[in-house]
Amino acid sequence: MTAAALSTPLPRSRREIWCVGGGKGGIGKSLLTASLGWQVARMGRRVVLMDMDLGGANLHTCLGVPPPALTLGDFIRRRVDKIDDVAVATSQPCLRLISGASDLLLAANITYQQKMRILNKIRSLDVDIVLIDLGAGTSLNILDFFLLADQGILTVVPEPTSIENGYRFIKSALFRRLRRAAQTPPVQEIVDQAFDQKNPLGIKSPLDLLEAVEREDPAEAETMRREMAAFQPRFVVNQVRSPVDASVGHQLVQACARHLGVRATYAGYVDYDDAVWRCVRQRRLFMEVAPRCPAAMKVSQLARGLLDGDSLSLMW
Amino acid sequence: MNGRRSYYDVLGIERTASLPQVERAYRFCLEMYGDGALATYSLLDPGEQQEARESVREAYEVLRDPARRRAYDLSLAQPIFRPLREITPTAPPAAVPPLGVAPLPTTGATLAPAPVAPAPEPVAPEPPAPAPALSGPNPVALGEQVTGAALRRFREARGVSLDEIAQKSKISVRFLRYIEDERFEMLPAAVYLRGFLHEYARGVGLEPRGTAEAYLQRVPSI
Repeated sequence: MTAAALSTPLPRSRREIWCVGGGKGGIGKSLLTASLGWQVARMGRRVVLMDMDLGGANLHTCLGVPPPALTLGDFIRRRVDKIDDVAVATSQPCLRLISGASDLLLAANITYQQKMRILNKIRSLDVDIVLIDLGAGTSLNILDFFLLADQGILTVVPEPTSIENGYRFIKSALFRRLRRAAQTPPVQEIVDQAFDQKNPLGIKSPLDLLEAVEREDPAEAETMRREMAAFQPRFVVNQVRSPVDASVGHQLVQACARHLGVRATYAGYVDYDDAVWRCVRQRRLFMEVAPRCPAAMKVSQLARGLLDGDSLSLMW
Repeated sequence: MNGRRSYYDVLGIERTASLPQVERAYRFCLEMYGDGALATYSLLDPGEQQEARESVREAYEVLRDPARRRAYDLSLAQPIFRPLREITPTAPPAAVPPLGVAPLPTTGATLAPAPVAPAPEPVAPEPPAPAPALSGPNPVALGEQVTGAALRRFREARGVSLDEIAQKSKISVRFLRYIEDERFEMLPAAVYLRGFLHEYARGVGLEPRGTAEAYLQRVPSI
């Protein structure tokens, strides 16, 4: 009744956490996160960008914002009470930023309790979408955030090193998830071994792991299968220079399904675009300065797709 | 993944896929499993990539050919091995061992390959060679019980490689090897296996029909 009159842009249940990861550094994760956040905010959602890039937090620079006075570090060290207090405004009205800058040492050594506190507080933010830049690597902190996300976005560029790291990221994240789900010591042992690529059990992929668990404990294997099915990373291919590059995303999805048993999807791609690069040098966001450039158009499509839960599919 | 993947799974398409869709899927898969392809190079070793390419080609060869595809679809609908008699009421159930009438140099286990000398069908009541233009001279019958191992010995004695047969017959080396290894569980249903056996026999210069029927007797029904 009266609730309808007070309606927010989206019902509460739609609040989502999106995490942007990718094994490799320098592939445009931060810029992608910033532009995606900017675009989603422009589409009317209330967005908080959060910089968890431990080694090189620079979302503020991507957005053309000076280093904020308050950062996530102040919240972790309890200098402020509410996580809301460290979310600073940007030039886009619906978009705020929680910076991770200047807390290098702290962020890299965040404890489990601190992590849980952040997660709980994130959930309590009164926004529609929390978009987290995870930074490079496959540390447990990164994997845990990725796993708790409603949308786990995995950035790659069409280069061998990036894709190799992308697969490593997927495997690590999934093994981590399965390790948490494992209930009996023998199965836990198997999953622990799987982390080591040279394990004596010969487990290379999650499918091998599943087989090994199946032999040990069919009931647990069923659990694992469910966990695997629920793990659905979304690929974004960045810096695309040709249709062939763009089709790599489809190949990744297929390869994941066939050889890792992972149900990934292809959220979209963003062109390699000189306009983006020129804007970075001016410390401005290309979405704002050059909204009609090819990269900006693709980010818009990507944002819409992520909001609607759509993905690119092969037109067969 | 349990059970064998169908050709449709291999190409990643629906059973209802049109021919152009089959073509597109085929090209996509070849690209995905290509040498040093971005999406698979760090996931599969070169041998696995190669193997994947082969299964893709094999699937494509069947699915692009409407007749073979129809036959394959039928085989998917039924269990892999129906009792032979059900499928082949014409197959003479009695004549199990060597079918053809050929010189039998059977000396126990160590058999000499049947001489290339034509088996001179003495009282041929039917048209002499039902199979037209086969490779090689007049086909002969295998001089011993038709087993996978015997087929291999014969082939090797003739100096024919599996690759050569594969090239002529368009049957994957893998299946030819399964035939020789008697890995029945990997082979297709009898109706198709028969075709494979015919091709194999032609490739090495054996009489196709008798060879195929004799071999099929070895296949356990279900």
